Amino acid sequence: MRPDEVFFKIEKQFKDYGSRARQLHKEGRKIIGYVCSFVPLEMIAASGAIPFRVRGSIQEPITLGDTLLETIVCPYYRSCFDLSIKGRYEFLSGLVIPHACDSMVRSYSVWSYSLPYSYFHFVNVPTVCEESSFEFFEEELKNFKKSLERFTGKSIQDEDLSKAIQLYNKNRDKIRALYELRKNDPPLISGTELTMALTAGSGLPIDESNEWFDQVIAAVKGRGGSPLSKGPRILIDGACIDHIELVKLVEELGGNVVADTICNGARDSFPKTEESKDPIQALSRRYLDKLNCPKTYRANKAGTFEGDIANRFGDIGTYAREFRVEGAILYVYKYCDPFGFEVPARKAYYQSIQVPMLHLEDTYSAGNLGQLRTRIQAFLEMISR
Amino acid sequence: MTSYVAGIDIGSTMTKVVILKDGLITSIIGPTGPEQRRLANKVMEEALKKASLPFSEIMYIVSTGYGRMNVPFSDRQITEITCHARGVNYLIPEARTIIDIGGQDSKGIKIDRSGKVLDFVMNDKCAAGSGRFIEVIADTLGISLKDVGELSLQSRNPAKISNICTIWAQQEVAASLAQGVKISDLLAGVHFSLAERIGRMVSRLKIEKAIVVTGGGGRNKGLLHALSEVLGERLTVPEEPLITGALGAALIAREIVEESKKNRIDLKTKERRLEEVEIL
Amino acid sequence: MTEQQKEAKPKKRMTATRAAASIGPMVKSFITETLQARAEGKQKLAYTFIVCHHEEILRAMDVIPIWTENFAGVCGAKRDAERFLQRAESLGLSRSLCTYALCGIGFDQWREELGEMPPDSPWGGMARPDFMISSGQILCDPRSKWYQASQQFMPDVPIYNIDLPYPLFQRDQDHREVWGYYHKYIVKQLRGLVAFVEEQTKKKMDYDRLRELVDLSDRTWNLIDETYRLRKAVPCPMGTGDAMNTMVPICFMMATQKAYDFFVELKKELEEKIAKGEGEVENEKYRLMWGGGLPAWYALNDFNYFNSKGASFPVETTYRMVLPLYEMDIPETKDPIEHLAWRWLGYWTFWYDKARKRPDSEPDVERLINWIEEYKIDGIVMHEAFSCRTWHVGLIWQLHQLGKIYKPIPLYVIGKDGKREIVMKELPSLILESDIIDITSYSEVDTRNKIDAFIETLESYRVNRAY
Repeated sequence: MRPDEVFFKIEKQFKDYGSRARQLHKEGRKIIGYVCSFVPLEMIAASGAIPFRVRGSIQEPITLGDTLLETIVCPYYRSCFDLSIKGRYEFLSGLVIPHACDSMVRSYSVWSYSLPYSYFHFVNVPTVCEESSFEFFEEELKNFKKSLERFTGKSIQDEDLSKAIQLYNKNRDKIRALYELRKNDPPLISGTELTMALTAGSGLPIDESNEWFDQVIAAVKGRGGSPLSKGPRILIDGACIDHIELVKLVEELGGNVVADTICNGARDSFPKTEESKDPIQALSRRYLDKLNCPKTYRANKAGTFEGDIANRFGDIGTYAREFRVEGAILYVYKYCDPFGFEVPARKAYYQSIQVPMLHLEDTYSAGNLGQLRTRIQAFLEMISR
Repeated sequence: MTSYVAGIDIGSTMTKVVILKDGLITSIIGPTGPEQRRLANKVMEEALKKASLPFSEIMYIVSTGYGRMNVPFSDRQITEITCHARGVNYLIPEARTIIDIGGQDSKGIKIDRSGKVLDFVMNDKCAAGSGRFIEVIADTLGISLKDVGELSLQSRNPAKISNICTIWAQQEVAASLAQGVKISDLLAGVHFSLAERIGRMVSRLKIEKAIVVTGGGGRNKGLLHALSEVLGERLTVPEEPLITGALGAALIAREIVEESKKNRIDLKTKERRLEEVEIL
Repeated sequence: MTEQQKEAKPKKRMTATRAAASIGPMVKSFITETLQARAEGKQKLAYTFIVCHHEEILRAMDVIPIWTENFAGVCGAKRDAERFLQRAESLGLSRSLCTYALCGIGFDQWREELGEMPPDSPWGGMARPDFMISSGQILCDPRSKWYQASQQFMPDVPIYNIDLPYPLFQRDQDHREVWGYYHKYIVKQLRGLVAFVEEQTKKKMDYDRLRELVDLSDRTWNLIDETYRLRKAVPCPMGTGDAMNTMVPICFMMATQKAYDFFVELKKELEEKIAKGEGEVENEKYRLMWGGGLPAWYALNDFNYFNSKGASFPVETTYRMVLPLYEMDIPETKDPIEHLAWRWLGYWTFWYDKARKRPDSEPDVERLINWIEEYKIDGIVMHEAFSCRTWHVGLIWQLHQLGKIYKPIPLYVIGKDGKREIVMKELPSLILESDIIDITSYSEVDTRNKIDAFIETLESYRVNRAY
């Protein structure tokens, strides 16, 4: 495909999110929805079903969802629920929700009783990262496996799991390669394009997703040059940002989004699963230890505040150096306790690595983004002189 | 030969224009206009008239403020945060913290000695954190907005306003009034309530002196008194606190013109039209 | 309206029982004790959270718990939380987060900055801890984030975070299939806590003492259950307003003889009241269940307001943190730590079997149904506190689901043909909205208007009830 065709397809796939899954569902495949990066997708893929990331929509006002779910729930998650209950994801056969945050845990019944899917499962991810929690999580993963086997009627062999692990690792390699193209100044792929491409990929079966990223990488390389003009190099720090409005706004105002820590970006795509280990053990390590989410309590081993934040947020510093970041935007949803309580510590960390940071609190609604415009623009003005 | 430049700051209620050459030529303040908010161009026309200049003489225009986008006659738009910083730095070089209290929102800005922004905070778009809060309450009490500041200073015993939400505070004030609480005490209470809210927001920046208050809030003596009490600091107010944004915009415009002359770059300003500004 | 004007609004909240009235001084005294202990420096003090089933371990090691949620609640009840909340906000923390935690972090930062208690701290303030025990559960995110955030201002104070998960209710799986590995994990987590406290106190755990304390708590659990069941009496001798006081020994004093003795007294008092036919309200007209949500601590007077309308609250789901152990299907063990872990699992899965049996039921909904029947409930009141997701997400849905599967009230209505017919209706319900301690979210006028309208609904149900 010609590069411009691929870029056209990126936008189209982003807009028609779910169209491929719908088609596969019609062909008789089982599509299992999931929210959040803590759901071990390898397990779903190994069962023969296709994992599909449930998204919200920043453009669509939350209506039906509010009749069943409190407005004090994370607005992103409320939007996911609202779209689901409105039937946007009617092609799903099931849904898996992990123990990530209170919004997910406390509303599990609301989802599982209100949606018409025949399969629901809750993966209980530990809150701490110790030997005993890995053991527990391995058992929990085995239980997840059993539950999927019951649902699909097919037993999952170790080979199936190993194969899925390899496919997902490949996917992460490709995403990593895509991120490499952001290191140029200006980056060879804009943040807006990359977010759309990643989102499109998360709606495809893993083998198709791998092909998809090959096409995207080739198109970016083939385009020669950047779609952006040079501007302050920005890292986006936050949870799941599955819309493009924020990144688009930053780039419209002259910034170059070159790195992130977000769930549908580096947080989930960079850590790989060890292939030489027992697959369950390897998945337990990856999902519990390597996913750096504030939801997981990590003991302060340094005994100092500076040491503690260096341990907890070290990946930010690494990305800042690697992608030559000049400013960061910490974008936190209102009512997000895991991220919300870390704002002062993250602020201190950014100071320690001398990267200016702008903290934004948002309500996941397109109407609210205008309010952020002045802040983002002023921040870009502040760091570009 | 230096050229004329202009800064236009389109706020939610007032539009401010500053025209510069080597020094200040003229500054003018006029209403942004009610519902449609389309009068900003009239303010520019008036400023030009006052300076006896044709529009074509203005070499470069920077727009700022709430309505800075989509200004058909500006060459560049820059946020009011950067512009206030430049404007205040020009007038009061020792300023390190700026508190801008506008009709729509309020901001805290920290700057260095050269007027560069180091950090800033803004309140959410909510009437409670802005001049609008005072407006609503003044309206409830039937007092002209011009008089509220002076009146509140007569209070010996400011009322405690416990509600932050503007609508609830309005109810609370009405109820207190019915119970016989003095208007001056209520107004003082309202000013303290707003001052506390602003103070809390600004305290997220580590405040350094000198502290300068700009925007409409800078004209309200009652609010300045309350804010000074809340922060425990002396506050400085520029002679005309409303124009610092427009002044900063004009200063930046002049800098851009000078910079381009120095580098012999032709400043291709686009075809501009002195037309209505659509904000909404 | 005229009726309303006649009623005197009590300034100080009235309690129905002597026992509940004795709680205020009790809280004050245990806060004072922590301050004394801090000054003397002989005993170790630990910040910690309620509902972690670890009191026995702390008490056996002579560690004095500082209940940080309790202190925030005290600030709220004294209407003096705002300045601490504001301090937290100025650190960059959003007001939308748990306000208990915001209050605590704001307080900690202030105390650490001054090197002494903030001016006029409620009841002398919250003492600086020697260590902090937080808890990642499947319950509350702020519990594992709060102390971590506070540690920024006291980096020398170590944290131990216990993970205490329980299996979430899944309709297609019996929790007993998985609870073996849950138990194993919790035991390891609790043993980790013991090791941590041993290291901090430089003392060894006395397991005989621990066993005694676990036994004392178990007896207290059963005693509390028996005591609270007395509230089934008509008229109801003690309501939720009082239970918001008697939660103190349940949540903050477990594994002490004092807590046990308190419920001996309360039980006696309730038995006396029942014998005399004395109710929480003089003329009991409506029996309500507090069906979810933490209370607005600064507005407990609202319970008196309900009472003034003839409404009593025989039962509440909030702070009913104990359940009868003899009804729990948990394995016997001699090891006190293993028992604590089983008790934890037994508590959280208590309603699972029943819920699985009733079509479309769910444990929280099942509990509502059971208590509606046992306590003869006419209506449900819930409180949505905006800052706390833990206890307040899912409430709207619970009411929705309850209404869908459970319609116990036979009501006369006028049918299409103009004839009177009987229709089965769900229980009326009321959702109040504000916060646990953020008073800026509360409007008394608004709340009482809602209560008035709800009482009118209850009255019309009472009048039109068919049988």
